[in-house]
Amino acid sequence: MTVELGHFALVLALALSLVQAAVPLVGARMEHPRLMAVAEPAALTAFALVALAFAALTAAHVTSDFSVVNVWENSHSLKPMLYKFTGVWGSHEGSMLLWVLILTLFGALVAVGGRNLPQRLRATVLAVQGMIGVAFTLFILTTSNPFARLDPAPIEGRDLNPVLQDIGLAVHPPLLYLGYVGFSISFAFAIAALIDGRIDAAWARWVRPWTLLAWVFLTGGIAMGSYWAYYELGWGGFWFWDPVENASFMPWLAGTALLHSAIVMEKRAALKIWTVLLAILTFSLSLLGTFLVRSGVLTSVHAFATDPTRGVFILAILTFFIGGALVLFALRAPSLAAGGLFQPVSREGALVLNNLFLSTAAATVLVGTLYPLVVEAVGGDRISVGAPFFNLTFVPLMVPLLLIVPFGPLLAWKRGDLYAVAQRLLAAFGGAIAVTLLALVFIDRSAAFAALGFGLAAWLVFGALTDLALKSGLPGVPLATAARRLAGLPRSVYGTALAHAGLGLTVLGIVSVTALEAERFVTMKPGDTAEVGGYTLRFEGLQPRQGPNFVEDRATFVVAGRGGEALGTVMAAKRMYTTRQMPTTESGIRTFGLGQLYVSLGDLTEGGGIVVRAWWKPLVTLIWGGALVMMAGGALSLADRRLRVGAPAPRRKAARQEAAA
Amino acid sequence: MFFWLTAALLTLAASTAVLWPFLRAPAAAHEGAGHDIEVYRDQLREVERDASTGLVGAAEAEEARAEIGRRILRLADGRAGGNTRTTSDRIGRLLVSAAVLAVPVLGWGAYAVLGSPALPDQRLEARLTKSPAESSMDELVARAELHLRQNPQDGRGWDVLAPIYLRMGRNDDAVTAFRNAIRLDGASAQREGGLGEALVAAAQGIVSTDAQAAFERALAVDPKDARARYFLALGYSQEGKNADAADLWRQMAADLPADSPWRGAARQELARLGAPEAAGQTAASGPAPTKDQVDAAMEMSSEDRLAMIEGMVSQLDARLRENPADLDGWQRLVRSYQVLGRQQEARDALARGVAALGTGSAEAARLTAFASGLGVAQQ
Repeated sequence: MTVELGHFALVLALALSLVQAAVPLVGARMEHPRLMAVAEPAALTAFALVALAFAALTAAHVTSDFSVVNVWENSHSLKPMLYKFTGVWGSHEGSMLLWVLILTLFGALVAVGGRNLPQRLRATVLAVQGMIGVAFTLFILTTSNPFARLDPAPIEGRDLNPVLQDIGLAVHPPLLYLGYVGFSISFAFAIAALIDGRIDAAWARWVRPWTLLAWVFLTGGIAMGSYWAYYELGWGGFWFWDPVENASFMPWLAGTALLHSAIVMEKRAALKIWTVLLAILTFSLSLLGTFLVRSGVLTSVHAFATDPTRGVFILAILTFFIGGALVLFALRAPSLAAGGLFQPVSREGALVLNNLFLSTAAATVLVGTLYPLVVEAVGGDRISVGAPFFNLTFVPLMVPLLLIVPFGPLLAWKRGDLYAVAQRLLAAFGGAIAVTLLALVFIDRSAAFAALGFGLAAWLVFGALTDLALKSGLPGVPLATAARRLAGLPRSVYGTALAHAGLGLTVLGIVSVTALEAERFVTMKPGDTAEVGGYTLRFEGLQPRQGPNFVEDRATFVVAGRGGEALGTVMAAKRMYTTRQMPTTESGIRTFGLGQLYVSLGDLTEGGGIVVRAWWKPLVTLIWGGALVMMAGGALSLADRRLRVGAPAPRRKAARQEAAA
Repeated sequence: MFFWLTAALLTLAASTAVLWPFLRAPAAAHEGAGHDIEVYRDQLREVERDASTGLVGAAEAEEARAEIGRRILRLADGRAGGNTRTTSDRIGRLLVSAAVLAVPVLGWGAYAVLGSPALPDQRLEARLTKSPAESSMDELVARAELHLRQNPQDGRGWDVLAPIYLRMGRNDDAVTAFRNAIRLDGASAQREGGLGEALVAAAQGIVSTDAQAAFERALAVDPKDARARYFLALGYSQEGKNADAADLWRQMAADLPADSPWRGAARQELARLGAPEAAGQTAASGPAPTKDQVDAAMEMSSEDRLAMIEGMVSQLDARLRENPADLDGWQRLVRSYQVLGRQQEARDALARGVAALGTGSAEAARLTAFASGLGVAQQ
């Protein structure tokens, strides 16, 4: 009965979300505390019900209950247990259920953790969350029901798309959705502020950690997706400017802008209207991403949904929320009180500049992503806007932004002294120049762009270190004092430094791989050797192997270093998943230091050879390592006590009253 | 029953959640401005902390303090003009009653449309361990497969499963199963005959050399095996050796008991060849269409059968034009044209095959030898 109970719980969650969307909203208009108080139990129960539904679907997948259409279409009794589990969100239906699960989870978190918010604000925020919940639960139940049944049940499933049978599926979608959906909180806060026509003092304090949380997850999700594509697709690339990737990158850019403008709003009560708009736009881009991937307008690895009714439904959701939010913004924004003033040269000014660059970059990516769709819709031609477009538009926008990043944290609020800051950054600048020259001399004399790229990366890292050094009192105090002060710095200061340094590391990895990568494309027979990037690969031969639900030919290569020393083996394989009759390529990757040796197999040739593509990718791991550092920075900022303080006193008073009663 | 009970409890919990604020004493309502004051106070404390650790300069801190102070003053102004509306409890109660009712009505209503409450879970493990008497064919097969995955050396299991595969039309699986049974438990007329039949079915009715060898091994064990004899004869007729085919079928018609289905099948084939059932008379040689699976072909009229076979042959022909390095394919094509009585096309196919495999190559020589065995000579 588990399956049907899950189905029933999901239907009930829809009813409850409807209540959550309507009753507290009316209550907030009427100043009716009890009606407003319906929001929290409704949000908590809706989360519990969706969690029950998700657990039921998981149970069906894990136990191979092929009477559930979703399980039959995406599972196989021989599939390894991990992929039976992750296969729950490997399908369109299941991934939408995960979306709603995360949405209701965030709703429940606001209900539990938001007790120190003004009740009106909390009720309205939860009501907006409820509306999003209604829309997506209705979408699931009417167009993509994961609980649809089959009678009689088939005895065997059709297996999951082999590309998705990977540990990456366990991590990438949940992280990405935590990011996407996390921005719904900032959105709900923005809508609540517009409905109320006022922005509470606690507003920015609340929006910022939620945005930060979503941003940390989205950063992880994008980085994980990039690494997954890198090793699974076998092309050796880490970013393809694929529309699906752009779909997650646009909210990231807008979210990064929001993160920074929320700082201004929290510290200086300025940029209020812009922050509200940015919160709306960020979530709108998340919704757009969901639409692009889920409607099937794009055909790529991720787009497993092809039913037009779904596309139209999501488009309706998109229109309602984005259109409604923007109309509300147009009506109400003028009534919001404008914030404090500041000089152009100030921390605020630097953050505005950051926002300008980031939102322009997001718009650029948006154009590059939607343009082919528009052309196809109007003229019927299929064109693709690829890396050349983005290299010409996105990169020139990013370079000046990265150049000014180290200035931001050093400028004072309200009015800053650019000259003084430049002086303090002199050491970092010198370091960056030194790195540029070293790169030019020692690595590659011809690649000036690469050398400048290395310099830019070093500038970001040194700039972040300079910030930490200055904040701990250097160079004016003794080292011991500086060390003590360094240890006592607020975590958010570390967070900023880490995030900016992580950005530098990612840039370093990208520049290094783009400029210095070595590639070999050879046909090899057993015993042949090929040399790439100073490493020598000896092809040992192909062995057939039987996996749980696939057969593969596995190639073994013996790796030798520059001096001929043995460095172990690297294995690559060509797999055939028997149920779907789909071939995949499993690339072989060995990490040496921060670089990676990447081997991918091509076709067999006549005469017993095999086509082998081998790359040496220097510093490639920094691309994702940098993202991890950025995530760590975000997490540290999140752990700063400052952000956890909302309005403690009334809560304590209330608790005492309750205890007395 | 358990389902309805649990569903009712869930509904009750959901409705209670909506009603919850009305079941408890109202929490003390906090003025919105109180929250704002708290936030500003905390901001002041933060400025103090930053100033004391030297994170911000003294002047900067002073300015921040002043700014927060101004915000507090502004708040006090706003509060004086603020209004607190009295709440209308009647409307509230009405609304919440509607909401409480909406939960079960919507929930049960929508579920009635969408759900299948009568359909129990069908976990694979449970389906494979329940009493065999209640299991469907698919379930029994899956169960046997599971058993054989764990005990692949169980010849008896393969022996039981193989004919079932054959009946289900899973011909490739049937071939594997029969081969496993023969490997583990040795040859028998049943197993070798079954293997041959599975091979014929997998080759869409054509008796290949592999299948022929299997039937011959079956006859070596049991010279009277009806199925092996029937298919061997079918193979002869496909190769154009109608006399040999008719001989075998005549033997079957003579020595099989009257109730054997193979006797009827053999007599039908004889009728099709236009050969008399008694020995001694010459068989008329005519175009001999091949035969699909026994059951399927018996239900077809001869025109249908012919059309089907011609379709298959032209498919094979097309495939070989795209992918010509296929000796087995060329052999089948030559034989098929020969069987269909299209001599010219058979010769043509032979010539194309020899060219495709490389004139003078070993494979071309094998194809030529095979063709001359069928009576097709190179032009």
